Amino acid sequence: MSDATLLIALSTVFSGLILGSVFALVAAGVTIVYGSIWLPNAANGQFFLLAGLLAWSLSTWLGLNPALAALIVLALGMPFAYLLEITLIRRFYDVPDRNVAYFVVTLGLTQVFSGLFSITYGQWSDQYNIPPIIQGIMLIGPFPIANNRILVLAISLLLLAALFILLKHHPYGRALRAVFQNREAAALRGVNVRGIYRLSFILGTLVIFSGGLLFGAAYSFDLSVSWTMAITAFAIMIVGGPGSVLGALVIGMLFGFTQAIVSTFSTPTVATFSYLGAMLLILLIKPSGLFAR
Amino acid sequence: MTSKLGQVMGRVAATAVIYGAAAGLGALSAQAAEPIKIGFVTEMTGPWAFFGTSCVNGLKMGEKEVNDAGGALGRPLGFVVADNQTNPQQAVAASRSLDTQDKVVALSGPTSSDNALAIYGYAEQNHLPFLVPVAAYPQLTKPGTRYTFRIEPDAAGWGYAIAKYIEQRKPGAKIALIYSDFALMRAIFAGLKYQAERSKLPIVADVVFPQGSTDATVQAAQVRAASPDFVISVGGGGFDNTITNQLLDLGFKPGEIIHPYGITTQILGWGKRSVGSIYGSFFDQGLESVTPAGRAFIKNYKDKYGRPASYIENYCYVTPYIFKAALEAAGSVDREKLRNALSALKMKEPTSDIPIAFNENGARAEYIYYMEITGISDNDYTSKQLYHTEWQPTVIPVNDLVK
Repeated sequence: MSDATLLIALSTVFSGLILGSVFALVAAGVTIVYGSIWLPNAANGQFFLLAGLLAWSLSTWLGLNPALAALIVLALGMPFAYLLEITLIRRFYDVPDRNVAYFVVTLGLTQVFSGLFSITYGQWSDQYNIPPIIQGIMLIGPFPIANNRILVLAISLLLLAALFILLKHHPYGRALRAVFQNREAAALRGVNVRGIYRLSFILGTLVIFSGGLLFGAAYSFDLSVSWTMAITAFAIMIVGGPGSVLGALVIGMLFGFTQAIVSTFSTPTVATFSYLGAMLLILLIKPSGLFAR
Repeated sequence: MTSKLGQVMGRVAATAVIYGAAAGLGALSAQAAEPIKIGFVTEMTGPWAFFGTSCVNGLKMGEKEVNDAGGALGRPLGFVVADNQTNPQQAVAASRSLDTQDKVVALSGPTSSDNALAIYGYAEQNHLPFLVPVAAYPQLTKPGTRYTFRIEPDAAGWGYAIAKYIEQRKPGAKIALIYSDFALMRAIFAGLKYQAERSKLPIVADVVFPQGSTDATVQAAQVRAASPDFVISVGGGGFDNTITNQLLDLGFKPGEIIHPYGITTQILGWGKRSVGSIYGSFFDQGLESVTPAGRAFIKNYKDKYGRPASYIENYCYVTPYIFKAALEAAGSVDREKLRNALSALKMKEPTSDIPIAFNENGARAEYIYYMEITGISDNDYTSKQLYHTEWQPTVIPVNDLVK
């Protein structure tokens, strides 16, 4: 294999891994909330963007170390999600067909955030770059990759693994899965369903925040990224099976790799939309989603 | 005593009448000096908000200076800013409102070609002079254009100029193109491809990203594998910097990367790694031809907004000066006379002494500078001028290349 071919092959693997892990994280955040509360969060792209913008503000305006900035943003994510939950989200817990109401409410939130970002950040810059957490370039064969992107990839994979273990083995994860499967039965077995709802919303929001932070650390971004990510996260959730965290993880990685692999033999336009083609194909075979409960 | 008191009171009353009359005359005079209204339809919200806001920042500085110096025709200029929300339909609605309700004498403002094209239709149809400060899409000055005038050179010409620059710097150089699929970028690269063939510059990679792209790792590797001498790179918004970083990660030297254009936020975003990179500009603090007025503008802008002004802010800052010159040449606020005055205008940009004159289609004799980044700090950068070229808009078949 020539160096040029190896360079392209390795760039495809790393691009697929980084994109896929970020996609998987955000989709997992969306699906945790959907699976438990039945809340299709149309504002997930705005939450994703909010995390990136806050980290950008802290690291560029206040000059904070980007790792510290990310931790602060995550810490802020908790009260942010909690406040939303107590002021807005919990009001619909007992509403029949609340998924429609939630979709409309979160579309409203999308408009509010989009407007706020437009009259603030949109007027301050046209692009946002979070400084790298670590400097330098690593050479893997003929493929040079920034150490910062390797770090982002490592953290993304660790977070995905931690999320998987939490949901699989921790009592909270078991309770959450019980609510996913049958909330009435879970309540009869003593699970605090409303408590699980609250925790799920906070956890889902924090996972989306993590995705935004990691994406912002790996790539420059602008306000339009919120729409791209919102559509991608929903597509992954639908293909993986709404409510299936495993589906979000697997399909997120699959989408990332599809985009990267298609890039090697086709145009970026085809590559960008290839996962939507994959989505249609999978839904034709299994309309309920690959990992539907 | 009573008589003296009466006299004093009489004098006080007379003085009050005189002062009252004077105040009344002053008010009448202020009324006579009602501003000459010019509609400024730009992007204050939506995806293009940064460019519209930056433009208005420059405009307001120019407006104040022109008005402090007496305005035009003895009246101040009053730019009525309307937000088009980065939406062509809204741009037309705002133009109509400014035309019919505010009775503006002319329109100006958009920084997005899509919005400018929407206003173009309205202005041409309603015989309303329209001065485009920044939007570069070639069709804004297509043959038959009568009421639209554009300050910024058309984008296909920028591409032509890149090829000319590379041709003189390294004859026969292999070039790679990597860019986003926006109207502006399509026009630039149409001009570049046209001239590259004539300048004998082989294109070894041509990568176009759809809008909304986020990652360019694989494509940057493909470009690397093609071993070009120069990469001409530009992406939309944050993606511009993503492409740049990924090219640099893959081992391209900054001097091998040419950005078709660079505004301050872009240059700061490219960061210290990009010192040595080249970018196109029409006004830049590193230009040799910046006048003392231009230096003052750059400094005042930086003091007020925390970053040096680039060509976007400059074109909007220059806009009130152009209207002042045209209105005084027209000698009236009649729209047709103003249109004719703009058509015959010959002046220089106060910031750079670069001539401003429009051809029969409203296009300006074109020019561009190629700058090299020599230093970058948190909120500032330094650059030096490498190359300057001028050409007539007709030197390439712009309207055949970009429909």
